[in-house]
Amino acid sequence: MRCLVVDDDAEIRTNLTAYLEGFGWQVSAAADGGAMRRVLAATKVDAIVLDLMLPGEDGLTLLRWLSTQPDAPPVLMLTARGDTMSRVIGLELGADDYLAKPFEPRELVARLQALVRRASKGLAVAEDTRMLRFGRWRFDRLTRQLVNAEDVGIALSSAEFRLLGAFVQRPGRVLSRDQLIELTRAPGVEVNDRSIDLAVSRLRAKLGDTAREPALIRTVRGEGYLFDAEVSPC
Amino acid sequence: MLRRIKSWDSLGLRLFLLMWAALALSHMVAWSLVVQTMRGPSDSPGPPMHAQGDRPPPPPGGFNGGPRHDDLDLAGPPPRGEPSARIPTFPSLPPSLPWGSSLVDYGVRMLVIALAAWWGSRWLSQPVRRLVSAARQLTPALAQGRPAPELSEDEGTREVREAAAVFNHMAAELSGQFEERGLMIAAISHDLRTPLTRMRLRLEMGEVEAKVRERCIDDLREMNRLVESVIEVFRPGDEADPQRVDLSALAQSAVDDLAETGATVTFEGPPAVVSADPVALRRVVDNLVGNALRYAGSAKVSVELSAGVARLVVEDNGPGIPEAELERVRQPFRRVEGSRNRATGGTGLGLYIAQQLVRRQGALLVLANRPEGGLRAEVVF
Repeated sequence: MRCLVVDDDAEIRTNLTAYLEGFGWQVSAAADGGAMRRVLAATKVDAIVLDLMLPGEDGLTLLRWLSTQPDAPPVLMLTARGDTMSRVIGLELGADDYLAKPFEPRELVARLQALVRRASKGLAVAEDTRMLRFGRWRFDRLTRQLVNAEDVGIALSSAEFRLLGAFVQRPGRVLSRDQLIELTRAPGVEVNDRSIDLAVSRLRAKLGDTAREPALIRTVRGEGYLFDAEVSPC
Repeated sequence: MLRRIKSWDSLGLRLFLLMWAALALSHMVAWSLVVQTMRGPSDSPGPPMHAQGDRPPPPPGGFNGGPRHDDLDLAGPPPRGEPSARIPTFPSLPPSLPWGSSLVDYGVRMLVIALAAWWGSRWLSQPVRRLVSAARQLTPALAQGRPAPELSEDEGTREVREAAAVFNHMAAELSGQFEERGLMIAAISHDLRTPLTRMRLRLEMGEVEAKVRERCIDDLREMNRLVESVIEVFRPGDEADPQRVDLSALAQSAVDDLAETGATVTFEGPPAVVSADPVALRRVVDNLVGNALRYAGSAKVSVELSAGVARLVVEDNGPGIPEAELERVRQPFRRVEGSRNRATGGTGLGLYIAQQLVRRQGALLVLANRPEGGLRAEVVF
């Protein structure tokens, strides 16, 4: 796998390159936007690690430029902090994932691997709309909550958020537990059959579904779950 | 020219002019009214003559004709001014008047002066009221990063203009310092993150003994936590608008997320809708529960709904906080005596941040020791 590291700090660049090479990656490094474009023109990379704060063209400008390129590789953004602002960047500008500096090197590797795996399966990597609508619900991916018809926000846990995120991308399709495990994998958390079932029942409770009469998340016996709703951006 | 006039415009001068004008006006109005009413009967022959002992009306023309003060002395009120005043003394020394007319005279004067005083006091206090309302807006404006309110510096009396100039200068200075502080904090935190990242990678790549490395990594994490907390406190206001959120769903999500990482924490409570910024509220729950987990190892979160008031309650079985320090722990970098060590960790900002965020939601943070031991933190909406 090939990866491109874009950071203006020379030591971070060299050490990160060496660290990723230790995991069997081929790594190129670039100090700014110009160098990044040259590398991309010369070689095809599977993922980009992009620092938000760069001299000259900053990370956001480069991200916008990348989104105009045909089959641009997935981007993991290194931001100043992992808060709401970073999530806005991730969701609205097309970064596929983000990590706050200083990051755990292990976690960077895990996230990069997840990005490349998702991209190689042709799955949508970026979640580019903030608000989705299904049934009488709105799903706000920025604040991670469901909004009901009375405009009351109902917060989702990370597990519920990941699960609903997987469902809304594949409405009307049966998803097996194994597929859901794969789709809702997150670093540092163990996802298994039981945790999927638990998240499904909690999500149903928040959506007002019951196991006996589910309106949105149907159980398909012996196969898995099906999200039975039309999803549209709003 | 205008400037010269303005330099004379002081509160004292205004007060002097006002009182002078009010006095003169009251005399003039009262006098002319009384003269009018007294002239009335003498001009028209129709009305019956006054009874014996009643005062004869003064001749037309008021005091110009020379009232016979001596005649009135017994029946009328004591004359004002010199009894022998024959010289025109308008407006301060009108002729002596009969009873009824005197009442009208004094009544009208009082009324006019009262009206003038009421209007004048409003007129005089208006600039002070403007100053008060601007001063009141200053604190929230600074807290939310809005521009400070500005007073007009060329309206009103000299004192008011001076006060406005001083206020504007102070407000500008304050908001400049707030902005500078935010920028400085942002700069420091960004500049700290690069060396922190460098050190973290160096620890991964260099030949460091495993034990030393672990401890260095712990220290790096602690420094990073501190940086994040400081940013959280000093970040210039970028709060989202409050919206209606289900408090129980929010608390439940926070608890589920913590439970997913292996923490011992439970939740129960009925649905309760409150108005808040969900991101800030989530931060509050995380801070309060994090505190409980740090000092007690487990936490119990609940939502209570009574008499239309929703409460989010976080309880633990830890050592609690000595009564004397319950208020002090809300201040930044204050911790309960003796707990400032690595074992409990924390930056000393958790409760302070929670308090700040709770206030911004228009709610109240209540801390109390439970009778059965441990701390009870309540967010009251």
